[in-house]
Amino acid sequence: MTIISLQHVTKDYGHGRGIFDISFNVEKATVYGFLGPNGAGKTTAIRHIMGFSKPQQGIVTVNGLNSWTNASTIQEKLGYLPGEVALPEHLTGEQFIRMMMDLRKVNDDTHCKKLIDFFELDASGRIKRMSLGMKRKLAIVTAFMHDPNVLVLDEPTSGLDPIMQQRFINFVREEKKRGKTILLSSHIFTEVDATCDEISIIKDGHVISSFNKLELLKMTEKVFHVKVKNALDYKQLGQLIESNTDFHLVNKNESAFELQIGCYPNNLSRLIKLLAAIPILSFNEVPFSLEKHFMEFYDRRVGGELP
Amino acid sequence: MQEGNPIINGTIFKQTLRANVKLWLIFTIVLTLLQIVMVAVFDDSTLADVSHLVEGTALAGLLGQTTLLSMLASTYYSIHGVIFPIIYIIMTANSLIASQVDRGSMAYLLSTPTKRSTIIVTQAFYLIVALVVMFCIETTAGFITIQVIHSDMDIVVADFIMLNVGLFLLMFAISSISFFFSSYCNLSKNSLAFGAGIPIAFFLFQLLSSVDDSLNVFSYFTINALFDTTAILEGENYWWKLIVLLGLGIVLYIASLEVFKRKDLPL
Ligand SMILES: Nc1ncnc2c1ncn2[C@@H]1O[C@H](COP(=O)(O)OP(=O)(O)OP(=O)(O)O)[C@@H](O)[C@H]1O
Ligand SMILES: [Mg+2]
Repeated sequence: MTIISLQHVTKDYGHGRGIFDISFNVEKATVYGFLGPNGAGKTTAIRHIMGFSKPQQGIVTVNGLNSWTNASTIQEKLGYLPGEVALPEHLTGEQFIRMMMDLRKVNDDTHCKKLIDFFELDASGRIKRMSLGMKRKLAIVTAFMHDPNVLVLDEPTSGLDPIMQQRFINFVREEKKRGKTILLSSHIFTEVDATCDEISIIKDGHVISSFNKLELLKMTEKVFHVKVKNALDYKQLGQLIESNTDFHLVNKNESAFELQIGCYPNNLSRLIKLLAAIPILSFNEVPFSLEKHFMEFYDRRVGGELP
Repeated sequence: MQEGNPIINGTIFKQTLRANVKLWLIFTIVLTLLQIVMVAVFDDSTLADVSHLVEGTALAGLLGQTTLLSMLASTYYSIHGVIFPIIYIIMTANSLIASQVDRGSMAYLLSTPTKRSTIIVTQAFYLIVALVVMFCIETTAGFITIQVIHSDMDIVVADFIMLNVGLFLLMFAISSISFFFSSYCNLSKNSLAFGAGIPIAFFLFQLLSSVDDSLNVFSYFTINALFDTTAILEGENYWWKLIVLLGLGIVLYIASLEVFKRKDLPL
């Protein structure tokens, strides 16, 4: 079931800035990652989902409702974390939480208390005096306090320390398991890698690549690190790999008798058969990193294709 | 739509009150003190002495009519009592909408099921109520001062009340101008440029037009001229002018609502 949908959304701010013909769907109980360099248009797209901006072309819906015409109804079941924390500074954290609970007509504060404990938020002081990270935690608690079904998070972990970032990532995974639909924009590959099912890369206002992480993993070449006992085995294995078109030699280290072998998943059993004939000291997979994959897109011109 | 979705939101009103009450209090105190002082310092015996001196000259006609209210009309009701509320309005109107959009804190209000129209109506309601209460206090203080200090004088209370009603309606209209630009502009600096620039220009035009008859042409370029103190004191027909002020205010407040409902917010 589609929860968030953008169809051919265009917003031209002039001078080539804005978003152009953006389309994607976020399905129920999935985490959708939105990656792209500064000024790519991530926040602009989110602004349209929230109903702050009206698309010049195209349509944005959340739970089947038009984001622009039904903005206030949509907010009942949506949690939003803005990219820039701009909290009302004259309040204390507690007053702000109370205000947001009142505005959302949340009477029961047990869920909110749980969140405050989980993120170690100290909401007692004035917002003006809070550290950046504390303000962000306050914004996170506010976004989740009414236990919404849909979450729109704009760079949620910026400003958090590494331990809190990890805690947030775990939290997002738990929320997904509970059936929440989450759209998340980020610059941090590991964060996207750890949480997202679907990923879109946006650049200069265009979606230049969209893929499913599991399918990408299935499609991409895996790299194995193999260490053998002596020079003879090393040479023999090297020759076997190089003469076989199913595999390819990524890297080799003659002095340590180490080889790195690239192999697509469908050829995996053939590789294992081949290796079984040779005495091997160690054999392990080099973990796949989305980072390398993403980096190509950051540099590439608009219109780049998946390799 | 659904129940519990009133047009004025109590939670937002409470927060607005909390954030703005200090400024309101300062201006209300200053305005009230000014009113009390201006009323208290009036001394018609000095005027009587002067009129005695100029008896039989051309000046006599002018001075002969000087009463407490006409003195107030040319001082408090054209300068102090106008500019102080204008400054209050400029600061408050900008902080109610535009500065929250500019800073981004409006995003939190709009990420709750609160309608844009509810936000505008609540904030406009605050500004209007703040002005009503401010002028009620000022009028009451002025009235008491008159009763206590000038009990011997023959003052037309109805005229005094009408001066204050007129001043309030002028401020209502001016507040609608500042509030409109606060709702229309996304940047504080633009909201202030228009929301402060126009009321101050109106004030200066009115001041210029009263300096000399040759500058009277300026009174056609300011809504402040619609608060016609001379007409009020001389019993001329002034009602239509006050109704124009009221109408202008209502139109601009409605325009603020419509503009804010439709505009793109860069949050
Ligand atoms: N209200 C606006 N008026 C004019 N241009 C705008 C406006 N908002 C955004 N832009 C421009 O649109 C482009 C996209 O901005 P956006 O904030 O969506 O980027 P982003 O992907 O969120 O970047 P970041 O990673 O830095 O947060 C930028 O070039 C920006 O300057
Ligand atoms: Mg952004």
